[in-house]
Amino acid sequence: MFFHITLERNMQLHPRHFGRNLRENLIAKLMKDVEGTCSGRHGFVVAITGIENVGKGLIRDGTGFVTFPVKYRCVVFRPFKGQILEAVVTMVNKMGFFAEAGPVQIFVSNHLIPDDMEFQSGDMPNYTTSDGSVKIQKDSEVRLKLIGTRVDATEIFCIGTIKDDFLGVINDPTTA
Amino acid sequence: MAEKGGKLLPKGTKSSLTSSHSSLGSSKRKENCPTKSKKGRKVQFDSSIGSTKSADKTESMFDKVNLGKGGKEDKTGNAAKKTPVKDPQPLELKIEQELPECAKCMMDAEALHILQGIQDQMVILSEDPSIKIPISFDRGLQYAKSTGNHYTDYQSVRSILEKLKKDGVNEGELCVIANACPETADEVFALVPSLKAKRSKLIEPLKGVLSELVKLKQSS
Repeated sequence: MFFHITLERNMQLHPRHFGRNLRENLIAKLMKDVEGTCSGRHGFVVAITGIENVGKGLIRDGTGFVTFPVKYRCVVFRPFKGQILEAVVTMVNKMGFFAEAGPVQIFVSNHLIPDDMEFQSGDMPNYTTSDGSVKIQKDSEVRLKLIGTRVDATEIFCIGTIKDDFLGVINDPTTA
Repeated sequence: MAEKGGKLLPKGTKSSLTSSHSSLGSSKRKENCPTKSKKGRKVQFDSSIGSTKSADKTESMFDKVNLGKGGKEDKTGNAAKKTPVKDPQPLELKIEQELPECAKCMMDAEALHILQGIQDQMVILSEDPSIKIPISFDRGLQYAKSTGNHYTDYQSVRSILEKLKKDGVNEGELCVIANACPETADEVFALVPSLKAKRSKLIEPLKGVLSELVKLKQSS
């Protein structure tokens, strides 16, 4: 789920960036440091939308670096347990399938796939119902519910389920 | 372990006695999980256990030292002795507890509008070879495009869904409803279990809102 949030960060700037373009340099460094990162609390920082406030700089003892506290607004993407979202399947194997929703990777175990769907191996491995009416394969769109999240240094990984009501395939790429 | 947990938390136990026991208990738990730090795995206890002051004190000491394994064992020990086994609650969305108050939940359509505006600016920035557009931005924009295009006008969707706020639906639940694009009220209650408690109150306003949203749906 996307959120618009205000965050604060202490930015260190080398004296070579001081001068007329101090603020621009500070903002460019902030964008370089923050955009694309991820944390457990806020999720992925997708984009910075604006700077609210740049505080007074503090010169660090011993070095010439100056620390500025910067308050900025940004769009973050954070998955939550219990959230319903739509994802695109990227890989299918006998343990389950992997899907992607934005920058987040999701795994759905075969235990959390409805019992009437069976794994079919082959060139295009897939999960299919016994009557062949519903198929989950690479590039299928599925609606799933997140039941767990794990945060690494650079990405967020989730576990999902399609075993509840109103979950499962939305769009089959073969019929589209 | 469970037995020790059971003995340590009976009602009406004197605090001095429990504190000495809990220090013994804590050292044992440290042995079991040596690699983990003392800080911060919060353990939820059943409300039925911590009814007396002395039990509360023991609980707070347990909170400091208890780790995942030990906490679970205590819980089962107590559950076996005192509380009946509860049915597992359906997984509910609890955004407000985990994010700071200033966080504003956005519908995918609103996020798409903002990210597209930023992308237009990025076209100018991308001429500078030192500036790299992060992968998460591309993926976020692609995702927002695929999920945020259900409706023709996101601002009207927002104003329609705002009507549900007075019935007790919070921001996060509104966004889940907008993103999921449900067709029936039953679908809403299945996808957002936290609304089931207010089903009787919400069902009529929800049907009205869904019928209005159908008019705004984009033809695919």
